[in-house]
Amino acid sequence: MNLIALGVFGLIIIAMAAYGYKISARTAEDFMLGGRTIGVVVMFFFVLFAISSSWTFYGFPGVLYMEGPGYVFFVWGSVAGFAGLYMFLGPRLWALAKLNRFLSPVEALSERYQSKALRIILSVTILAFIIPYVGVQPLGVGRGFEALVGTNLWVGATYTAVLLIILVLLGGMRIVAWVNIFLGLVYVTALAGSLFWILAVEFPNGGLAEAAQIVAATEPAKLSAPGPQGTYTPVLIFGTFLVGLIAFSWPHITIGAMTARDKNLFKWFPLLIFILGGFFFYTIPFVWGSLIAPAIMPGVTDVAEADRIVQTIIQTYLPEWFGVFVLMGVIAAAISTAAVQLMMSSIIVARDIVQGVFMPDATDQQITAIARWAVIGVVVASLAVTAVVEWGLGQGAMALYLTDVSVPGFAQWAPALVGGILWKRGTKQGAIAATLFGTIYLVLGLIIRDADGGRFLLFNLHPVIPTLPLNALVYIVVSLLTPRMDEQTEAVFFDEVEDFLKTESST
Amino acid sequence: MREIMGHTPGKIYLTLLLLSIVALAAAAFTGVMEVPPGGEPILVLGWMTMPLVLGFAFVAFWLVAYIIYFFFFWPYR
Repeated sequence: MNLIALGVFGLIIIAMAAYGYKISARTAEDFMLGGRTIGVVVMFFFVLFAISSSWTFYGFPGVLYMEGPGYVFFVWGSVAGFAGLYMFLGPRLWALAKLNRFLSPVEALSERYQSKALRIILSVTILAFIIPYVGVQPLGVGRGFEALVGTNLWVGATYTAVLLIILVLLGGMRIVAWVNIFLGLVYVTALAGSLFWILAVEFPNGGLAEAAQIVAATEPAKLSAPGPQGTYTPVLIFGTFLVGLIAFSWPHITIGAMTARDKNLFKWFPLLIFILGGFFFYTIPFVWGSLIAPAIMPGVTDVAEADRIVQTIIQTYLPEWFGVFVLMGVIAAAISTAAVQLMMSSIIVARDIVQGVFMPDATDQQITAIARWAVIGVVVASLAVTAVVEWGLGQGAMALYLTDVSVPGFAQWAPALVGGILWKRGTKQGAIAATLFGTIYLVLGLIIRDADGGRFLLFNLHPVIPTLPLNALVYIVVSLLTPRMDEQTEAVFFDEVEDFLKTESST
Repeated sequence: MREIMGHTPGKIYLTLLLLSIVALAAAAFTGVMEVPPGGEPILVLGWMTMPLVLGFAFVAFWLVAYIIYFFFFWPYR
C-alpha cells in the first residue's frame, strides 16, 4: 500500500513534467528560464521550496534539538538575504538579462566584466560547490525509505533521482517552478499537519505552552541561548545570522530573479517572503525541533538520531499511513530543491562551458539538447561524489560539506556578483582576483588543520566569516588599481538598464 | 539598489535596515536571549523563546519598512 502511494505520487510528478514538455516552446530561453514568464505567486513557491530542502525536516530541527534555539538566527539571516536579493539586486539583474538575452547569471557577469576567463572560473567553482549538494537530496530520501518502508537505501535514492531527471529533462525551468507549488503544498501539509496532530494528541490541555513547560522542567537550557552545550554564544549567533544573510548569492536562488515575468514581481515578492516565509513556514520546523521534540522525546544525545527526531516521533506517535504521507513531504522537499540546483548546473554546463568556451556558434536546439544531457550527467556525478564522500568519511561529512563548504563556496562569487551589478568601478581583474583568492583561501583553510584539528587559517570561525570580507576587500582594491570598464559596457550594463527600468515604471 | 541610494527616502530606508541588524547584534551581545541569573528562560505567550521573539521583531521591522518604501517611494514602483 505504501509503495503504491509513493508510486502514484511519482506518477503525478512525471505527468506534470510531460505536460510541461508538451507546452514548452522548445527554445533554450524557455527550457532554461521558463521563457521569463514566472509570476509572483509561482516565484514565491519556486524560491521558498528551492531553499527548503530536506534540511528543514532533518538538519534544522536536529540542531535546534541538540543546541537550543540560537541556530534559528540562520533563518532570520536567510529571510533577509532572500528578500534582499529581490529588493536590491533582482530588478537590475532581471532587466540586464532580459535586454541582452542572457540565460545564466554567470553569462551576465562574464559579459559585464568582458572576461571569458571569469566565466570559466565562476562556472567551475559553482559546479564544484553545487553538484555534491544535488546528490545529498536523493540519499536523504533513500534513508527515509529505509526507515519508513524498509527498502534498501538505493531504492529511495534511485526513485528520487529518476523523478528528478524526468522532471528537469522534460519540464525545464517553467515546470520545475510549477511543480514546486505542488511539492511545496505537500511538504507544508505534511510538516504542519504532523505538528498540529502531535499537539492535539500529546499536549491536549495547553498545546505549545504545555510543551514549553515540560521542557522548562526537564531541560531548561534548551529554551535559551547559548543552549545546553553552551555553543550559541553571542558571537556564533551573529555569525550564524551573517551566514544566512548571504543566501542571496546561492546560485540556484540568484537565477530565479532572471525568470521573472515583469518588474512588478520585485515589488511584491518580499511581502510573501516576510509573511509566509519568516512568520509561518520556518516557524513549523522551529517549533518541532525546539519545543515538541525535547518535550516528547528528551535525552537524545546522538547527532544522527537528533537529525531524525521529527521522523522518529511521527513514526512512534502517529498512524503508519501518515508516516508515508510525511515521507512524500520529505521527497517533495528534496526534489523541489535538487531540481532547481540541477537546472542551474545544467545551464552552466550547456550555456557557460560548452557554448561559452567550446561551441560559440551552437544553435538554440543544440544548447537545449546539451543542457538536457547535462541533467543526467550531473545527477550521476552528484550521486557518485556524495556516495564516495559518505562511504569514505561518514554520513556527517556530507552534512558538513553543505554548511562548511557549499554555503561558503557559493559566497565566493558574491562580491563579483554584487559589484558587477551595482558598482561601475568594479573590473574584471578585481572579479577574477577576488573569486580566485576567496576560493583558494576557503579550500586551504578547510584542508590545513593544526594538531587539534582546528582550522587555524580560518581562525576556527565559520568559513564564510574570514573568507568573504577578504574576498570583497581584494575585489575593491584590485578594481580601484585597474582600469575601469569602457564606456560602451557601462552604457549597456548601467545606463540602458536604468532607462529600461524607468520606462517600465511609467508604462 | 543604485536607484535606492540615489534619493533621500532610499538612504533612510537602507540606514534603517542596517540599524535593525545592529540592533539584532546588540540584543545578542547584551544577553537578552540568555536565562537571567537565578531565573528561568523567558517565554513570551508561554511558549515563544527569545530567539524566536527577536527574529519575529526583526522580520516585522523589515516588513513594515519594505512596505512603506517600496509601495510609496521606490523610484521604479
